[in-house]
Formats: sequence, C-alpha cells, structure tokens
Amino acid sequence: MPADASTTSELACMRRLWQLAGPKRGQLATAVLFRGLQACALGLAFYAAIFLVTHLVDGGVVNAALAWKVTGLAVLSLCAQLLFSYLHVQRAWDASFQVGRNLRLSLLNHLQQLPMGFHLSRHEGDTASVITDDIFWIEGFLSDALAKIVQAVVLPVVIILFIALRTPMLALAMVAPILVGIPFVLWLTRRFAPIGIERQNVQAAAGAVMVEYVQGIRVVRAFNQISEGQETFRAAVDRFRTLSIDMVLIFTFPLAAYVAVIMLGVPAVMGTTAEQIGAVPPSALITALMLVFAVFVPLVGLVGVLEHMRITDASLQRIEKVLAAKPLLLLAEERPQDTTIAFEHVGFAYDPDTPVLRDVSFRCAPRSMTAIVGPSGSGKSTILNLLPRFWDVGSGKITIGGADIRAIRPEALSDLISVVFQDVHLFSGTIRDNITAGATDVDDARIKAAANAARAHGFISALEEGYDTPIGEGGARLSGGERQRIAIARAILKDAPIVLLDEATAALDPTNERDIQAALFTLVANKTLLVVAHKLSTIETADQILVLEDGQITERGTHATLITQDGLYARMHARKSQAAAWRVTET
Amino acid sequence: MSADMLASLKLVRSDIGAERPRLMRAMLLACGSVVLDMVPIWAVYRLTQMLADGSATAAGVWPLALLVAVTIPVAHLLFGLATRTSHIVAFNLIHDLRLRVARQIARLPMGFFNDMRSGKAKQTVITEPERLELLVAHAMPEGTSALFTWFIVTGWLFYVDWRMALAAVLFAPVSFILMGLAMKVSMRETEAYQSASNMLSGAVVEHLSGMAAVKIFNPRGVIGSETAAAIDHVASMQSEMGRKFVPLGGTFYALILANITLILAAGAWLLQAGQITLDVFLFFVILGGNYSAPLMRLFNLFHHFAHISIMATALQEILAAPPQPDTGAVLELENHDIAFERVSFAYQDKAVLKGVSFVAREGQVTALVGLSGAGKSTIANLIPRLYDVTDGCIRIGGYDSRDMGLDQLMEAVGFVFQDPFLFTASVAENIRYGNPHATDAEVEAAARAAQAHAFIAALPEGYATTIGRGSQLLSGGEKQRIALARTVLKDAPIIVLDEATAFTDPDSEYEIQQALGALMKGKTVVIVAHRLHTIAGADQILFVDAGQIVESGTHDALLAKDGAYAALWRDHTAARGLGLREAADAS
Repeated sequence: MPADASTTSELACMRRLWQLAGPKRGQLATAVLFRGLQACALGLAFYAAIFLVTHLVDGGVVNAALAWKVTGLAVLSLCAQLLFSYLHVQRAWDASFQVGRNLRLSLLNHLQQLPMGFHLSRHEGDTASVITDDIFWIEGFLSDALAKIVQAVVLPVVIILFIALRTPMLALAMVAPILVGIPFVLWLTRRFAPIGIERQNVQAAAGAVMVEYVQGIRVVRAFNQISEGQETFRAAVDRFRTLSIDMVLIFTFPLAAYVAVIMLGVPAVMGTTAEQIGAVPPSALITALMLVFAVFVPLVGLVGVLEHMRITDASLQRIEKVLAAKPLLLLAEERPQDTTIAFEHVGFAYDPDTPVLRDVSFRCAPRSMTAIVGPSGSGKSTILNLLPRFWDVGSGKITIGGADIRAIRPEALSDLISVVFQDVHLFSGTIRDNITAGATDVDDARIKAAANAARAHGFISALEEGYDTPIGEGGARLSGGERQRIAIARAILKDAPIVLLDEATAALDPTNERDIQAALFTLVANKTLLVVAHKLSTIETADQILVLEDGQITERGTHATLITQDGLYARMHARKSQAAAWRVTET
Repeated sequence: MSADMLASLKLVRSDIGAERPRLMRAMLLACGSVVLDMVPIWAVYRLTQMLADGSATAAGVWPLALLVAVTIPVAHLLFGLATRTSHIVAFNLIHDLRLRVARQIARLPMGFFNDMRSGKAKQTVITEPERLELLVAHAMPEGTSALFTWFIVTGWLFYVDWRMALAAVLFAPVSFILMGLAMKVSMRETEAYQSASNMLSGAVVEHLSGMAAVKIFNPRGVIGSETAAAIDHVASMQSEMGRKFVPLGGTFYALILANITLILAAGAWLLQAGQITLDVFLFFVILGGNYSAPLMRLFNLFHHFAHISIMATALQEILAAPPQPDTGAVLELENHDIAFERVSFAYQDKAVLKGVSFVAREGQVTALVGLSGAGKSTIANLIPRLYDVTDGCIRIGGYDSRDMGLDQLMEAVGFVFQDPFLFTASVAENIRYGNPHATDAEVEAAARAAQAHAFIAALPEGYATTIGRGSQLLSGGEKQRIALARTVLKDAPIIVLDEATAFTDPDSEYEIQQALGALMKGKTVVIVAHRLHTIAGADQILFVDAGQIVESGTHDALLAKDGAYAALWRDHTAARGLGLREAADAS
C-alpha cells in the first residue's frame, strides 16, 4: 500500500467533485433536488397506506369517499414519481456528460502547458487513462451514484422524523443501527481506500504495458519473444488479478457485516414494539413496522455507492496529480524586439545529478545561421529543446529579441519558432490537417504552395485522395521521406521567423534527400536558423559554428577559422571523411 | 437480451470450464441468502397482523424478533460468500481473457496492426474486458437470485389474493418491457458510442505522444484539434444515448419502486367492497411493496449488457481472426541462402511487389536500393514473415519459408529495424531480447561488439538503467546501438537490415558502422540502404523500382550500365554536397 495514497473523507471527495462540476453545479443541484422530490413522492404513497391502515385499526370503515381519497393520493404519488424521476435523470445525465467533457478539455489544455519533462516522465498510456477512464468514473458517479445517495438519505430521514413525532422509542430503535453502521462503513472504506487506488494504478500500468506491447510488436515478433513479451504483460495482469482478489477478500465480509448491522434494525424495531405493546396505540406500532423496510433497504444500497465513491475518489486523485503538476512559469510579460537569440550562462540538467549544459552562452543575429556540432550526447539537441521551452533552463536565461523566453506568452513564443526534428511527429488526420496543424482557416492555395516548396506536392497529388488522404497514426502510411517533407511543409506554412532544425536526415533515398535538402533551403531562407548540423556542407556555410563538448562550448567560429585550429572540430572533420569512406564489405 | 448475454458468455466459455463449479456455488449461495431475506419480511408482516387483531403480546413477539435477529447475519454471511466466490471467478476469467487476447494479438499477421492505434489496443485488452466483472461477479449470482425470489414471492402473493397480487406484480413486466425498449434504443447507439470512446482513447494517446509537435504547431492547442473533436463526439454520443434512453429508462426507474401505489389503490377499493381484510392489505403493503427492489439491480445490470455484448463482439473478432499459419516444423537447412521466386505482395489490394526474384547467398551482402516506396522495405519485411507473400515463394536454405515453423524462422533471421524500438526495461533486459538465456558476460560482449559498452557503462546504473520511452539518457545513435547489440546477441545466420542507420545520429555513424561490421561477418546479409556509399562494395546490388527489380549487379557494373542506379548515385553525390544556404549567403 503506497503511503502517499491519502485517505480523503467522503465529504472532501464530494466537495472536490462539486468544484470540478463548475458551471454545471446548478443543473446537478436541480437534478439532486428532483431525486429527493421523487423519494418524497414515494413517501406520500406510504403515508396514504398508513393513513388507511390506522383508520382501519382504530375501528374505522372504508367507504367510497375514503377509497377515492386514497386512490387520488396513490395516483398523485405515482405521477409525481414519474415526473420527478424523468426530470432527475434528464438533468443528471446531461450535466454529468457535460462535466466530463469540460474536465477532459481542461485536462488536455493543462497537459499542454506542462513542460515536456512531465510527459516524458509518465507513460502516455497512463496519462491517457486519466482523460478517458478516470473521467468516465466521475461521470458515472455524478449521474448514478449521487442519485442513490440522495435516495438512500431522503426517505429514511423523512420517515424517521415522522415516527419520532409519534413514537420516539421506535425512532430510536431505527436510528441505533444507523449510528453504529454508518460510521463503521465509512471507517472501513477509508481504511482500505489505498487498495482501491493501488488497484487503479495497477490497471493503468497494465494498460501502459499493453500500449508498449502493441507499439513494439514488430520487435517482439522479429526476436521471437512472443512469450517473453507476454511475460511482462502477464506480470501486469497477474498483479491486477491478485490485487483485485485481495480487495474482495478484505472487503466482502466487513461490508456484509455492515449490511447485517443495518438490517438488525428490523429485529430491534420488533423488540421495541414488543416492549411498547399496550403503552402505544397498535396503529402507531403498525405504522412503524410498515415503514421499517423503507428505512433500512435504501441504506443497504449505500454499500454499492460507497464502492463507487472509492473508485471515484481514486480517479479524482489521479486527476489531481495531473492538475497539480506545475505549468511552465510565466514571468511579467515582455515583447521580443527582434529575432536575436541569446543564451546567457545557461545551465541545464534533465536529472539533477547529470548536468547536460554548463554555462552555455552565445548569440544568433537575426537571419543568421548557427550550426551546433559535437559528439553524440554532448547536449546539442538539448539546446534546441530549450528554445521552445520543452524544458526550462536550470540557470542563466535565454532571450529572444531581448525578452526572456519565460516572459513571452507561450502562444507568442510558439508563433516565433518552427521546428523540424528528426523524429517528425505527424498526426492521424489527413495530409491537409497535418500541414495546417489543424487550423481550418487556411486556404488551399497556401497549403499547395507550402507543399510545393517542400517538394511534397508531387507525391501528394499522386495519392488517390490527394490532400485528404489520411496518413495513419504517426504518419504510418507514408514513407520516411514523405513524412519529413510534410513536416517541412507544415513548418513552411507556419512561416515563423526562427527555425530550429535537427538535421539528421533519416535514411532517405538520395533523390528524396536531395529534394528535402531543397525544401529545407526554402524553409530556412531569411530565417534565424539554429541547426544541429551533421553535414560538412551545412557546417561550411554557417555564419557561426558552436562546438559542444560535454555540455560546454569549447570552440566557436566559422568553418574556415575552426579547421585551422587543432581542436575537436578539426578532428571530427577528419573522422567524418573516414566514415564516408566506409563500405559494408570492409570487415 | 438473452442473446446479448450469450455473446459475452461465449467469450469466456473456453475459460469458464474450470470455474463452473465455483460459479454454481456462488449462485446457490446467493439464492440461499435471498430466501433467508424473506424471513424478516414475513416476520414483520406477522407482527403487524398480530397487532391489528390485538393478539400481540411481548412474549409472543420476542421469539419472532429473535428469529429475525438470527436469520439476518446468516443471510448476509451467505451473500458475502456468494459475491466473494463470484468475484474470484470473474477476476480469473478477466485475467485469462486478457492473456488470451494478448497471445492472439502476437500471432496475428502484422497487417492487422497497421490500422490499429495502440490506444485502441489498450481499450480492447484492458478497459473493455473489465466489464465482465459486472456480468460474472454481479449479474450471475445477484441476477439469478433476484429472479429466483421474485418468482417464489410472486407465487406466494397470488396464493394469498390474486387481485392484490396482480396489482403488486403489474409494474414489473411493464418495467421490463420499458427497459427492453430502452435497451433496444441504446443498443443501436451503443456501437457508435463504443467506437466514439475507442476513438477518444486513440486520439488522446496520440495527442500525448505528439505533445512536442502540438506545442510548436498548435499552441492554442486543444480547441479544434482531433482530440477535442473526439471529446465532443463522445459527449454528444452520450447525450444522444441519454436523450433516447431517458424517457423509457427514467420511467422504468420510477415504476420499479412505485408498485406500492397500485397496491394502495387496489387495496382501498377491495377493502371498501369488503373483498379483503386488513390482514391481507398489510401483507401486500409490506411484502409486495418491497419485493421488486432486487429486480432493480438486475435491470441496472441489463443496462450494461449492451456494452458488454459489443465488447464481446469486438474481442470475438480479434480472437477469431486467422493467426499467421505456422507449421511448427523444424527443418534441416543445408545453407542459409535466401531465394525469392516470383514473389508478389499486395497490401489492401494495392500491388507492392510484382514478381520479384533474386538469390541472396550465405556469406554475401545483398543490397536493396531505390526510391522511397519502391518496395525495398517490403522485401526485407517478407523475409522474417512479418507479412506473407501474396504469390510466389521465398526459400530459405531450399525450403519454402512457410513450411518452416515460425520459431525456426525467427531464430534464423536477425532483423534490425529503422526505428530502434526499446522497451521500458533495463538496458540488459532490452539487449537480452536477443537471447533471454544469455549470461551477463554475453550481454556485455554483445554490447561491446555493437560499440555500446562504453556509453552503457557511463549510465547512472550501467546495464541496470531503465530506458525506453521518455528516457532522456540515450541519443538516437545510442538507441540504435542497443538495438544492434540485441541482434548481435541473437547471432542469427541471416541478417536483415531495414534502413538500419536511418535514425542514426550521424555523429555516431562511424561507431555504428563498426558495429554492423561485427554483426555481419559470415552471414547472409540483406540490407536496405540509402547512404549509397555504404553499400557500394556489396556483392550484389538490386535496384527496386515500383515493386520490381529493374537492375542488379555490382556497383561498378551498374555504374558502367549508366541506368537507374547510376542516376541515383549522381543524386547521392549531389545531395552530399548541398548546403542549407548558399555559400555566398553566409556573410
């Protein structure tokens, strides 16, 4: 049992749900009210029955007038029940679905404002469960469980008050088991809440394993590790089963005990009746007995609700965890004056123990080209990752046009920057959606122009559905070169003044590579360009080359100057020529 | 409705065998408990009767109260045992079903996955089967026992007075019919709803995994995105379902509790006419007023059956999909030559390969070159049967690869993918994918051969460091070298490299080339490559164009021929010299 799985009270859970309901609160409250009125309408029928029985026990006779009166009450009760039930269900459902929708959207919005570190530290399958499954539980709670709580409370309370006015002793007998049972069951569920939370976490973990299993199915198959791959999944599923069964073993009997305690109110009322015979008119005793099940049965129904509540509480906590993650900080707003990029004594670490960048300072003039080179793992890509604030600097600062990037509104910052990275990510929509990045107000001519400039128009128009061709998850239905060109078209259309480029062109056929090179050429013209460079030709034409070694800039200058120094740059240059001479058959 | 239940039951039929006795026991226990539940109701009725006719004395009432006090704990003990048992059965069944689906997924042809988002897989294997808990753990014991008592009590009611019984019972079938209609309505919507929620899950997972691109290209984010559309769609599906379900379902919820109103009206007139005594009236108010409540639970469960049956159908589809044929045979191979004999392959009716024939000899390197989308990767993928040929055959060591057991084939082929997929596991575990029985020393030796030992040793926990998605610890080239180590460890006689240096960080190109050299020694090598200089020394170069081999020969022979390969080579040489900016630009 994790220690941090706090055991919030039912009240706190309800209060939190209430907060999350936001603008739908009013509707939910009306729904609850209608459900209460439905219970009262049912109570009206009981009242009529009691009235009739009391009349008879007290020696009265039933004449037509009385029969009409009772029938009228019955009909009234039935109609009111139907009406209020309808009104309740309608409002409760609609409100809870809207709450779910709003919560999903605001969660997604929040997630978008979190640093990439948050996303990469969690499995996406896990975060996805929060948005899908956990919110379904909350919707279910608001639409069903809330009603059951109202139902379980309203009628018993009304009845007990009614009895208390006439025979306090009997009311006492009704209240006693409730006073024992309710605190017991609340204690019980709170005591074991961590198991419920743990179970949900295990469930989410199994989901994450499944997502990875499917994503890596090619590897699983090619290495003939079908059974091994399943071992991990089996372990996750096993853990879920064990935990679920444990939960059942722990919960079942205490919960059955709660139900038994509540229902023991029946013999308690019977015993009290036995003692009150003679002291109280028989009609009063009969009245209490007629109502005894209407008091206890709804309370028994609370068991299911409490279970639902615990799961909802666990879901809430998982949602809270996401909501509690701090979005990127925003300093007092500043506006960039131009597109000069400056790193000032920047230090950064993904993990506090291993610094990635140390005291990195450099400037890129507007529309200049800066190439970053260095050995694998020296921090080149990190520099690119810091500019769009995928992560924030640990120390020092980065400015664009004199403004600290932490003081630029995120949207404004994104507007300034385009990226073309090696792991281009495309989305499942159509080619058009991907080029426009979802914007719907872009006219076709501009899309085509961008695709043309990216050397992508040719292959796109050769597709049967052209720009409306769906490309599959991550662009799976396109080749690597096609994906890259669409990513470039997306960047060209965006036309941001700063371009970040991680040049490692994936293995493309030479013809493709030449096209992409030409596409990039269009993209970066007249932009402030920061490129993690690999090609000799790229580096040679850069205005400024930064050589990065172990997180520090060790050399800087143009190709012409660096090549003459006896530094890392000159050595790398020599070795590249060596790699270029390599042949597969050499070994 | 019964048909839907059957669909879900069919799904677990093969797993249910061993659990059947337990399930029966659970149902019997539940029936026993509900029969005992009748005792307090009868006792309360008996007491009111005694009070009404004035025969009640404390001495006469106490035994009744004691009887009830004893029955209640026993009844709930039985019920606790029943649900405990049925839950254990349910969790076992869910567990087995999940494993069965995962196993089946691994055996399906790869084509199955091209259109399956990983988020959907999670939904299908993790989220949906959980609904079985409802069916097995709740519906079976509670449902059967509720029906069981309902029939017994109905008989009892009719035995006492048929007219009053009619009034007490009437609402139940009416409710049933309403619920049936509601079900029918929601069934129609359920399928659409289910696909909406699958879509949501898929969209959310993808949105999260593409978060970096979202941040740059769609900073205003969520609004207007596919994910937002999916969220809205789910909400509107829910509302739509609700709108259709509420008039019927809402009425049902009210009616099932409201039979007291009919009993009341009928009772009033029968009392007035002197047809029944107060005694009978009390009997119906107490017994008839409560006995339908357990049916409510059953109805509640029915509501979920629509979902369960859809889930069952979807899972059934996966389970019934024909797995890739596997003879399981172990053949004696003379050598590890690969021969393609007039191989054709079509994917979704689109011809990808047309009559491809070639022989790749043991100890030689065969290179596949050509434009993206020509079919090179397809040829590579067909060798380990990631897909099966549509026509013609592939022989390995003289045998049709389909006659060879999949196990043997997978053992024989080492495959290096373009995208080095690493699982969330330790470095050592990832390498051990190549051979689960390898010792630590062997794992390290493979890592050394793949030029990976040095950087692995520098990781925080060396070989025990957890890597995988989200790990910032490794660069693309390092990931590729771990994937290579995996293949080195496998030591298969046939090596297929599918653009294996694609995502290579060019700075580690030299190291990776060394690693490849170690891997390829003495094997049958088939390599898909774009960096033409790396394969210029291959024993045989095949130029693939539009699914056919149009040229073959050595580098020199092909250059001399001055055909397609020679043109590609010229592009290659040109692309290597192209800068991002013209030298003149660089001021």
